[in-house]
Amino acid sequence: MNTPAILATNHLSKYYNNVCRVNKVNMAVHEGEIYGFLGPNGAGKTTTLKMLLGLTKPTEGSVSIFGKECSKNRQFILSHIGSLIESPSYYGHLTGLENMRVMQKLREIPDKNIQEALHIVRLEKQKHKKVEQYSLGMKQRLGIAMALISFPRLLILDEPTNGLDPAGIGEIRELIKSLPKRYGMTILLSSHLLTEIEQIATSVGIISDGNLLFQGDMEILQARNKASICIKTQDDASAERVLLTYGYMPVHQHGHLHFENMSDLQVAQVNKILVEAGFNVIRIEEHKKSLEDIFLELTGKERSL
Amino acid sequence: MKALALEFFKLRRKWILVMTTLFLGAEMFWAFMSISKSMARNPDSTGWEAIIVTIASMNGLFLPIISAIVVSRICDMEHKGNTWKLLISTDVKRNHIYMAKYVCATTVLLYYIVLQTIAIAVYGIVVGIASPLPPSLMIQFIGGGIVTNFAIVALQQWVSLSIKNQAFALSLGMVGGFMGMTSDLFPVILRRIFIWSYYSGLSPVSYHFTNHSMEYVIQPMGAGALAIVLFMSIIFYFAGSFHVTRQEV
Repeated sequence: MNTPAILATNHLSKYYNNVCRVNKVNMAVHEGEIYGFLGPNGAGKTTTLKMLLGLTKPTEGSVSIFGKECSKNRQFILSHIGSLIESPSYYGHLTGLENMRVMQKLREIPDKNIQEALHIVRLEKQKHKKVEQYSLGMKQRLGIAMALISFPRLLILDEPTNGLDPAGIGEIRELIKSLPKRYGMTILLSSHLLTEIEQIATSVGIISDGNLLFQGDMEILQARNKASICIKTQDDASAERVLLTYGYMPVHQHGHLHFENMSDLQVAQVNKILVEAGFNVIRIEEHKKSLEDIFLELTGKERSL
Repeated sequence: MKALALEFFKLRRKWILVMTTLFLGAEMFWAFMSISKSMARNPDSTGWEAIIVTIASMNGLFLPIISAIVVSRICDMEHKGNTWKLLISTDVKRNHIYMAKYVCATTVLLYYIVLQTIAIAVYGIVVGIASPLPPSLMIQFIGGGIVTNFAIVALQQWVSLSIKNQAFALSLGMVGGFMGMTSDLFPVILRRIFIWSYYSGLSPVSYHFTNHSMEYVIQPMGAGALAIVLFMSIIFYFAGSFHVTRQEV
């Protein structure tokens, strides 16, 4: 990323009763990107986001947002951030519109923002209904509208699709994707769902057991997604010996010969060598690691990284 | 002011003034029944002093309870909807929100005391008390109630905001009501500590029993008692504000 980091943490850590929940996280979110903060449940995502917003005090480390130190410029920073942390917050005895009005008065922003935010999350028709009568999905939409109301520079969303039906998830996903272009927002989005992050985020941070295991552009993560070729013959051990004489280095495992980083031409050549040497080539397959495999590999084998 | 206006806005549909008025109605009904009976039994003791002393004493029971209810209603909505997190993640300072809640609660209780004063005046005129309404006594009565509310609201707000389960705050209000009602039975030193005793302690009228009859005594507002209750208000307010605004969400 060439744009400057508008959010950066420096060795951000949080301990609860001497138990480490977030461990020296160095996170960098750049202007205009959708940063997917991915991790399994209990990985430390929400605790990290709470520290960014000053809801929880870090045990160690610091946070800087918009180039300013959070602990010293809290009011300025928060005036440019919209957030939805954990479950949506609302006054159940007030209507959707009145809840928006509370945020509007707090943030001292124009009336028209209320209508626009409600329109974006498609809650206009239900705005006069008391929020305690809303479904979980509607409450979640209202929470997003309340975060959006000031059209902030930085939007922090913690598991924003929780409680939404598949159609609602798709809608919110498209909405989030459109925000950086439409309103120039930078989005920090946490989720435990890899597919969600994969479809929305432009860069990603993977956290597990409080440790940030990977951080970078989505393409870098996807580049780990290299294909390997598996060849099955009637006598893999002999075929392996033959191929070694031609300079190929297959790995014989799980009843297949595995090849890494092979071009199509090389696959054709290997096939030709084996056929000419009298082997029956039973199967040639391309195996691709899914992002899920990479995620599990990262979260499950963090020590080797 | 922004935070204060917001607190009143959030009280929509909470029926807090209606509830307060009904609660006052119950207290006044009980008090006026009692005063009417007393006047009927002893026509010599009819006067503003009898009304004031009875109501100040009953305030010891009713005001701690209604204070607990009002403060709980104002604070509980932040727990129910997880909205404390929402409020403090905006650029509004936490101590401003805390102060707005305090001012909002004391204003509702001011409404209670003003309405009560009007009720006393109307009742006195209706039962035909000959002397005019004594302004100095009424001002002291209102002032004593307001100052005592300052301390009680500060304590209740601390409890209501720091403990989610409002049963604790409401129980404290009920214990306070009991203390306030029975405060005259405690030694002076304990009365000074129990903030709920100041409704009668700062009342402009007191009474003594002499020769099996009750004698009303005008008592000026003691500077010492006033200083103690104000000091307690400040301690409870700032301790609560310090504690609540530093709590992690």
